[in-house]
Amino acid sequence: MRDKLYPRVRFSAIFFCHGLERMKKRTLLLLRFVLILATILVMTYSQRGLNIASPGYVVALLYLLSNMMVYFIPETRLSYLYVTFGIFLIDVVAISLAIYFTQGMQTDFYLIYFLIIFIASVGQDIRGSIPIAIVASVLYGWLLYRANPDTSIMDPAILIRVPFLFIVALISSYWSASMRRELKSKKELEEFAHKLEQEVERITTKETELRRYSETVINSVASGVIAVNGDGTITTINPEAARVLGGKQEDFTDTKIKMIKGLDNLWQKMKEAIESDKPLERLQISITNAHSKTIPIGLSVSPLTSSDTKFTGCVAILRDLSEVKGLEEKLKHAERLSYLGKMASWIAHEIRNPLTVIDGFAQLLTNTKDKDKVSTFNAEIHKGIKRINHIIEDILTFARTKTQVKHDELNLHDLLQQITENINNVKISIKGDENPIINGEEESLKSLFLNIINNSIDAMENDPKLVINIRKTKEWIITDIVDNGKGISKDNLKNLFTPFFTTKSRGTGLGLAIVKKIVDDHNGKLEVESEEGEGTTCRVHLPKKK
Amino acid sequence: MPRAPTQEEMKAQETFADTKIIAKRGGGMKKRILVCDDEEPIRLLLNESLQDSYEVVEASNGREALRLATKEQFDLIIMDIKMPDGHGLEAIERIRERNGTVPIIICSAYRAMEDDIVVKTSNVAAFITKPIDIKALKTKIFNLIGA
Repeated sequence: MRDKLYPRVRFSAIFFCHGLERMKKRTLLLLRFVLILATILVMTYSQRGLNIASPGYVVALLYLLSNMMVYFIPETRLSYLYVTFGIFLIDVVAISLAIYFTQGMQTDFYLIYFLIIFIASVGQDIRGSIPIAIVASVLYGWLLYRANPDTSIMDPAILIRVPFLFIVALISSYWSASMRRELKSKKELEEFAHKLEQEVERITTKETELRRYSETVINSVASGVIAVNGDGTITTINPEAARVLGGKQEDFTDTKIKMIKGLDNLWQKMKEAIESDKPLERLQISITNAHSKTIPIGLSVSPLTSSDTKFTGCVAILRDLSEVKGLEEKLKHAERLSYLGKMASWIAHEIRNPLTVIDGFAQLLTNTKDKDKVSTFNAEIHKGIKRINHIIEDILTFARTKTQVKHDELNLHDLLQQITENINNVKISIKGDENPIINGEEESLKSLFLNIINNSIDAMENDPKLVINIRKTKEWIITDIVDNGKGISKDNLKNLFTPFFTTKSRGTGLGLAIVKKIVDDHNGKLEVESEEGEGTTCRVHLPKKK
Repeated sequence: MPRAPTQEEMKAQETFADTKIIAKRGGGMKKRILVCDDEEPIRLLLNESLQDSYEVVEASNGREALRLATKEQFDLIIMDIKMPDGHGLEAIERIRERNGTVPIIICSAYRAMEDDIVVKTSNVAAFITKPIDIKALKTKIFNLIGA
């Protein structure tokens, strides 16, 4: 189907297509007018001259009329090959007739043929000029023959002039084609330049919009944003960051951050992030701003990651913590006060009870003669004093600072063995890895594990079983103390280590708080997992001896 | 206790009359005191201090005290109030519901609570603080229920 169609398509492409370049109607009319004038001029000066009654005159008139008809041809039609061919055919015929009627064979009339061929080539290049050249040579030959039937084909008038028609057709069409090409490429170039210009404008607008958008986004962030390049020059800073640093945005942009006084800590962290190519998160540092005010800030720094090495540097997000810090301090103060109140109340109660016992029995002793009673009372007094001493120990453990903790080399397995030796009412098994050696304070650690074990024992009712499992990892000695007691409710789990919180009728509420304190003093970790009705696992992490 | 005596004395006199009748019914036996404190040494101390003149019964917690107070007759109850949250106050209320007249002495380590508790439970006879002055306690008890 396509093969059959192809020749027709090609044919119409040649004859009906628009020419390479549409010839302007105005140009065509002008050129033809010149042609007509030339024809009339030649006719006037021919042997016979131009008389009103002569046929040459009619030809000239008709020729002029044809140009008026061309005037009415729609300009779009002029690009069709057959239309222009028709027009130039009229030209050739008209001139031939003019020569014929004026018998101007001896004049240089034939030069007008060249003019027509030239004009035809301007309009439609070789496709227009060659057919006209053929028609012109045939008509010219016929005219020569009419003038002199003996004219040989070798006559110089034919031998030179006819090939010349074709040479002119070829040269002029080549020239016009190249002219047209040049024109076309120039036009194309112009169009291209125009398009390019539009594109550049579009991209510039888009880029400006984008930049403005991202600027708006960054400026609207409630946190401070500072971006620096590899050598620490601030490329972007938003109003909040500028406010924290105590100035305006423009005061800081394009400034090297290490040159700004008071921001050494900030630059240090930024450098660290850039050099390690790793983000730093949730740091707390303090800076001194332009008003010489020290400001605590929360900081996150991310190195800029891009395949393009041009964009090195980092972006820092900072938050002014002065207000938060102030509130925190207030809260801590209030907490300390409430804590102190609770502590005082606890001490009062805890000490007054044994004090009552000591004081009471001392009062009774004065009137007691019975020796048995005297020794009972004495024993009670002694117990009371011991209890007060124990309370004082607890308070001291609780109040002591970390630096006061002594560290001895201890075998945790032996320590636990010692503690559990005296417990007879519950079955306790100690399992796990050999030689769990830690650095710690023996008495504190004893009190730590004894507190946990006593809690577990208190929680167990039927068939009490306590399992202690010791594991060694790369950094830790982990001790699991597992009981099958009644477990701890979720609400109580939250308050487990809160001082003075107790669920026992006779508890002081200080036991597990002390446990936590001792673990903290040893740089350890404490975890409690509990399921109500199933039991509780207390997991103590203590750092392994290095 | 310089500021409470009028109130205390009034209460003491009221209850004094009632308990006398009960005591007479008992037929000249020693008067009975219920001591409630979760600390064993304190119960022992009160028992030793009072056992010459009274029959002392011990209870180690509020529930036990309530059970005993409901089942048996007592001429006086000494009750420990443990924590600032008023542990023990509930037991006093319950005892009052069942036995409206028995004089109750509160014994606590919290001095700061004294006013509070006297106000809350206006029907307590007296408030003593730890450490206990035994002689003063004995006088107070004698004033309330006699020997």
